[in-house]
Amino acid sequence: MLIQTLVTGLAIGGIYALMAVGYSLVFSILNFSNFAYGSIIMLGAYVGYYLLMKAGLPLAVSVAGSVMGAAFLCYLNERMAYSTLRKRNAASLYFMISAMGTAIFLENLVYATIGSRFYAFPEIITQQNITFWGASIGVLDVFAIVFSFTAIYMLHYFLQHSRVGIAIRAASYDMQVCQLNGVNITRLVGWVFLLAGALAGLSGMFLGMKYMVYPTMGWITNKAYIAAVIGGLGSLPGAVVGGLILGVLETLVSTYVSSVIRDVFSFSLLVVLLLVLPTGLFGKYLEEKV
Amino acid sequence: MLEISGLQVKYGEIHALRDVSLKVRAGSIVAVVGANGAGKSTLMLTIAGLLPPAAGQILYEAKPLPRQAYEVLARGICLVPERRRLYANLTVRENLLMGAFLRRDQKGIRADLERMYKLFPILHERLKQYAGTLSGGEQQMAAIARGLMSRPRLLLLDEPSLGLAPLMVQNVFKTVREIRDQGTTIVLAEQNAFEALAMADDALVLETGRVIVAGSGRDLLNDPLVRKAYLGIKH
Repeated sequence: MLIQTLVTGLAIGGIYALMAVGYSLVFSILNFSNFAYGSIIMLGAYVGYYLLMKAGLPLAVSVAGSVMGAAFLCYLNERMAYSTLRKRNAASLYFMISAMGTAIFLENLVYATIGSRFYAFPEIITQQNITFWGASIGVLDVFAIVFSFTAIYMLHYFLQHSRVGIAIRAASYDMQVCQLNGVNITRLVGWVFLLAGALAGLSGMFLGMKYMVYPTMGWITNKAYIAAVIGGLGSLPGAVVGGLILGVLETLVSTYVSSVIRDVFSFSLLVVLLLVLPTGLFGKYLEEKV
Repeated sequence: MLEISGLQVKYGEIHALRDVSLKVRAGSIVAVVGANGAGKSTLMLTIAGLLPPAAGQILYEAKPLPRQAYEVLARGICLVPERRRLYANLTVRENLLMGAFLRRDQKGIRADLERMYKLFPILHERLKQYAGTLSGGEQQMAAIARGLMSRPRLLLLDEPSLGLAPLMVQNVFKTVREIRDQGTTIVLAEQNAFEALAMADDALVLETGRVIVAGSGRDLLNDPLVRKAYLGIKH
């Protein structure tokens, strides 16, 4: 029972971590919470579902399609909703309002065109189990863990070692100097949204498989937001650790206490954490020497 | 090399620069001297493409300068901003690599890194350290090195001596001369007027956004107005 719970917790935590990393990536560079991110995740799930069920493509291709589709949509989201604000140096509040508007728009767009129906992935994908040390473990959970960790590791490697990755970290500290070093900020921000979108597609696909695909599924990003805050907004390792902690704790609470208080628990955790540790676990404050 | 004429820059309604003209000859050091708020940094940021001019013209090698910072850098003009502004969350090595962001010649970049370690030996020991942990003088060295990594033909230095110990200031000015001797043209904005004028080929004094005196560095050192106002020498 405990192993089962832990594996499920890690799987959910991994998905939270994916979303939280996507959140943090955008936050670290533009300094606002991208509330439209949940809608991109939702659309990614729809793309994957359609490719698999309607177009009849294999699962791997559908996942890839969902990743690319969400990356493109996320990029489009920035170009249409944020780039003009960015060029005018608007305060982050305006970005947030624009993001909320985008979220509401996209959700209602899906209601109006596809409808409010819940779509479930076939059981052959979602319900397979393997027995391991006497515990029955979901294959989907294992895949979710493997894929989310691989994706996050790849992103980490990219940020640490590639030319664009280093520039993204540099811009998260000082965007003006980054321009002096020859970085085209518009292009760099495009990169960030493409990367965040790719993570959104992957997490949307797993969320859709684990639960279902429906227009408001994006609101689960509230949890990713909590995870990002636990870890320290803007810190990528923090987002991963925060996601895992939240996923495992939530699953433990719903298994051993009651699934009814699961969300109450998560949000209480957020409140307590903000009171005790407002910068999160890894939110560091770097001081510039004068 | 660089020719600025009738430059005006405004922050909203406030004139930060009025009718500034300046000529920079290739291979020279040009000093821009003035008190706090005189417009030195504004001038530097405008040349670098971070501030839009309200009027006037900036010609670089007989062509108008582009208005985006990354395009200006691509033409060979690099600004080392005031207060160094290193990326504190990046290591020293990564900071230097950011300086070479537009370059694709891996071999040349590696050779230039070696060149920087020779020019600033202290940086070699600090490569893996976060730039935020360096001392002020080390940060200034790293900032200049980062600027040189783009292989600029014109280097703009904004207050490189700000907040440094006297010995360190001498060090920085020595380096500036070395960089010029290696063929890079330099525009130097400084509050430390005496040192700046002493090594400048040409110089100008800014006061509330206007050029009040211009001439060779030596002329300005002997100019009674400059001596009184900026060098603190009374007659």
